[in-house]
Amino acid sequence: MSFTYFLKRAAFAALALAALMISAFFLVRLTGDPVNLYLPVDASEAAREAMRVRLGLDHSLLAQFSDWAWDILSLDFGVSLWHNRPAMDVVLEALPNTLALGAIALALAFTAAIVMGSIAAVNAGGWIDRGVNVLSQAAASVPDFWLGLMGVLLFAVTFSILPTSGFGGPIYWVLPVACLFARPFGTLVQIVRGSMIEALNATFVRTARAKGARDGRVTFVHALRNALLPAVTVTGDLAAQFAGGGGVVEVVFGFPGIGKLLIDGILKRDFAIVQASIFAVAVVIFVINILVDMLYGSIDPRVRVE
Amino acid sequence: MKKIPAIHALGMGVAMSLAAGVAIPARAAPDKLTVVVTDEPKSLDPCDTDLSGNSRILHNNITEALVNLSPKDGSVVPSLATSWRQVDSLTWEFKLREGVTFHDGKAFDSSAVIAALKRAQDPALACEVGLATLKGLKLNAQIVNPTTLLIKTDVVEPILPNKMSALDIGSPATPGDTKTRTPAGTGPYKLVAWTPGQSVGLAAYEGYWGDKPTIPNATIIWRAESAVRAAMVDTGEAQIAYEIAPQDGTTEQDHAFPNAETSLLRIDAQIAPLNDKRVREALNLAIDRDGLIGTIFHKDAQKAMQVVPPSVFGFNPDIPVWTYDPEKAKSLLAAAKADGVPVDKEIVIYGRIGIYPNSSESLEAIQAMLADAGFNARLEMLETSPWLKRLLKPWSKDRQPSILQTQIDNAEGDAVFTLPNRFTTDGNQSTITDAGLDKLIADGTKATGEERKRLFQQAFKYIAVDAVNIAPLFHMVTIARVAKNVNYTPDVQAGNEIKLKSISYR
Repeated sequence: MSFTYFLKRAAFAALALAALMISAFFLVRLTGDPVNLYLPVDASEAAREAMRVRLGLDHSLLAQFSDWAWDILSLDFGVSLWHNRPAMDVVLEALPNTLALGAIALALAFTAAIVMGSIAAVNAGGWIDRGVNVLSQAAASVPDFWLGLMGVLLFAVTFSILPTSGFGGPIYWVLPVACLFARPFGTLVQIVRGSMIEALNATFVRTARAKGARDGRVTFVHALRNALLPAVTVTGDLAAQFAGGGGVVEVVFGFPGIGKLLIDGILKRDFAIVQASIFAVAVVIFVINILVDMLYGSIDPRVRVE
Repeated sequence: MKKIPAIHALGMGVAMSLAAGVAIPARAAPDKLTVVVTDEPKSLDPCDTDLSGNSRILHNNITEALVNLSPKDGSVVPSLATSWRQVDSLTWEFKLREGVTFHDGKAFDSSAVIAALKRAQDPALACEVGLATLKGLKLNAQIVNPTTLLIKTDVVEPILPNKMSALDIGSPATPGDTKTRTPAGTGPYKLVAWTPGQSVGLAAYEGYWGDKPTIPNATIIWRAESAVRAAMVDTGEAQIAYEIAPQDGTTEQDHAFPNAETSLLRIDAQIAPLNDKRVREALNLAIDRDGLIGTIFHKDAQKAMQVVPPSVFGFNPDIPVWTYDPEKAKSLLAAAKADGVPVDKEIVIYGRIGIYPNSSESLEAIQAMLADAGFNARLEMLETSPWLKRLLKPWSKDRQPSILQTQIDNAEGDAVFTLPNRFTTDGNQSTITDAGLDKLIADGTKATGEERKRLFQQAFKYIAVDAVNIAPLFHMVTIARVAKNVNYTPDVQAGNEIKLKSISYR
C-alpha cells in the first residue's frame, strides 16, 4: 500500500466522517428535547426554559449547528449532560474496553473458525462436517442476551467459577468474550468451510499433492492461505460492528464499554456523548478498514491496492 | 528448535491467560457490603437528592438533612437539627446539633445550612431539590448563633420541616457555582471514589456524630438486568439487590416492600369521548384489578382508590375501590353513545417502557380488557423522553383522546407533594381544570392539622369519585433480594434511601 493510497483513503474517510457527523448532529436532535429528562417532573416551565437557554437549545437549529461545527473543528465535543464531564473524556475511557473486548472475541473466533472450518472442509459430507455445521449454525443464531443470562446462571450461580458481571481482572472478561465470540465464530466457520472446500478442489492443490506435499501442508498452507480472503473481509466487517460496542452484552454484564455508553447516551438524549461516540467509533472503523486492506496484500501478494 | 503447532500454542495461550487471571470473584466479607441497584447515579451533589438514583446513595449515607421523616408514619424526626418550632406564620427556628463535623473536617453550623440553601435555590445550578421540593418557595435564612437558625418563608408554609427533610447539607467547601462529584457531608459514610460506569465506594466516617455503622466499607454497583442483580446475591458478589422483577423474585430471600409509588392511568378528560364522565367510569369498571394482582403485578400490591398510599397525610380511606363490572361498563358506553358521544373513536394508551416491572404486559392486558368492554383502544409504548412529552404540558389542542400510564411517588408523606402539579389548573401535568378543586388544594396547602387533612381528603375524593380523571391501579411494592447472612428489612423509604448504617451481618 503506497503512501499516496493511504492519503487518498484518509481524505475520503475525512469526507465521510464530516458527512456522518453532520447527519448525527441533526438526527440526534430529531429524537427530542433533553430538558424534560434532566429536570424533575415538578420543575416549572421557567426552569425548563432556563435550561434550554443554558444549553443553547433556544437558538435556531442552524445557529446551533454553526456553534457545534466550530467546536468540532477544534475537537471540542462539549460536556456530557448526564456525566457532567467532557464527552470525549468519557468516550475515551469506554472505547479501549470495547476495543479490547471485541479484539479478544474476534481473534478467538477467527482462529477457532479457521481450525473448525478447515476440519469440516477436509471431512466434507462426513459426520464431523455435519457436527461442525450444527454447532456453527447454532452459534451464529443464538441471541447474545440469552447466551449471557444462561452463562451467568450456569457458570456464576450453579458452578460458582466465574463472576456474574462487572469489570476487573481477566476472569471478568470470560463471559462477555464468550457471548461476543459465538456469532462471529458461527458465521466465520461457514465461510472458511465453503472457501476451503473450493480451494481444496482447485488445480493448484492437485498440483501440490502431485508434487508430494503432505496433507497438513496442503490444507493449512496451500489451500487455507487462498481460502482466507473471504474470512478476512467478513472479519473486517465484524470488527467494524464490534467497534461500535457489544451493546446488549455490555448492558447484561455491566461492562463499561462504548456500546453501553452509546445506548445510554441515546436513551438519555445526551447529544454530546452520542456525537463523541460516533466520531470515535468512525475513526476506529477507518483504521480497521486500512488494516484489512494491508492484510489483504500480505495474505495474497496478487492483491495490491492502488 | 521444535516448532509448537499453532493449535497447541493457542490452547496454551488461552489456558495461561485464564490461569493468570483466575481469582475468585469478590465474595461476602464481614467488613464489606455490596449493594446492586439498577442505574448509575446521575449526580452525587447534595442538592440533587430529589432523584431516587442519587438519593439512595447520598441521603443519610454521605449527606444528611436537618430532619428526617419517620418511615412508620411520616412524622418529622430530628437529624442535624435537634428541635424546631414555628416562631410566626412566616418564620421557623431550627436548633442545630452540636459537635458535628463534615468529612472534610469543617464544622457543621448555621452558616453551612445557609450555604446549602443558597445552592439549592440558585437557578443557575438547577438543583433538583430547588426545582421540585422547594419549588415556588423563597427561603431566607438568618443566623442567630452557630447552632440556631431562623428560616423565613415568603408564603405561609406549615410543613417547612417536612420540606427541609429533602435538603441535604454539604460541606461549606462545596463549590457554589458548579455541581460537585465529590460530596463531603456529615453522614455515617464518606465517599471514597466514584468510578464512572462501575461503582461508588464508601467508607465509614470515624467522626460520625451518631451510632457508627457496623460494616466499615460499602460499594454501590449497578446492573440493568434484574436476573443479573438477583444472581449477584446468590453468588455472594452482592448482599442486597433492589428492584428484582416479580418473575425473578420468587425465593425466600426476596422481600417485597411498599415503595410509596401508586400506579395509575391518567385520563385526558378534555378530549372526546373521554370528556364524558360515563366513559371514564366505564374505563375504570372495565379493568379487572384482581386479575392483575399476583399475575402481572406483585401479589403484595394493594388495589388503589386514590393516587397516594395510606401512609400519606391526607389519604382518604372512605373512597371505594373500583369493582370489575364489564357489563356495567358496556351499558355506560351504550348510554353515552346514545347521547352522541363518539365512544368508537380510537383512544391511545401511552405506556412507558420499564416504568415498573412488566409495564408493557400490564397495558397489553388492560388494552384487552378495554376492548372486551367495547373501547377502541390502541397501545403505544414509549421510551422516557417521548413519554415525558405526553406527561408534561404544553399539549396540542388537536391531540387524540388518550390515557397515560404513570406512577406517582410520595415518600415525603404529605398530599401537597402530589396534588398541585397533577390536579390543579396550572399544574404542569394536570388534565383537569376545576376552580373548586384548585381552591380545595390551595386551602389545604395553607392549612394545618385536622383541617389540612380534611381538605386534602376532600380533594382526593373529588378527583377519584366526582371528576374521575384517573384510573387508579395499585399501591406498588418493590422486591429486594437480601443475602441470608445480612440483617436488613427494607421499609417504605428504601426506594429513595439505602440505610447502610442500619445494615449488619448476622
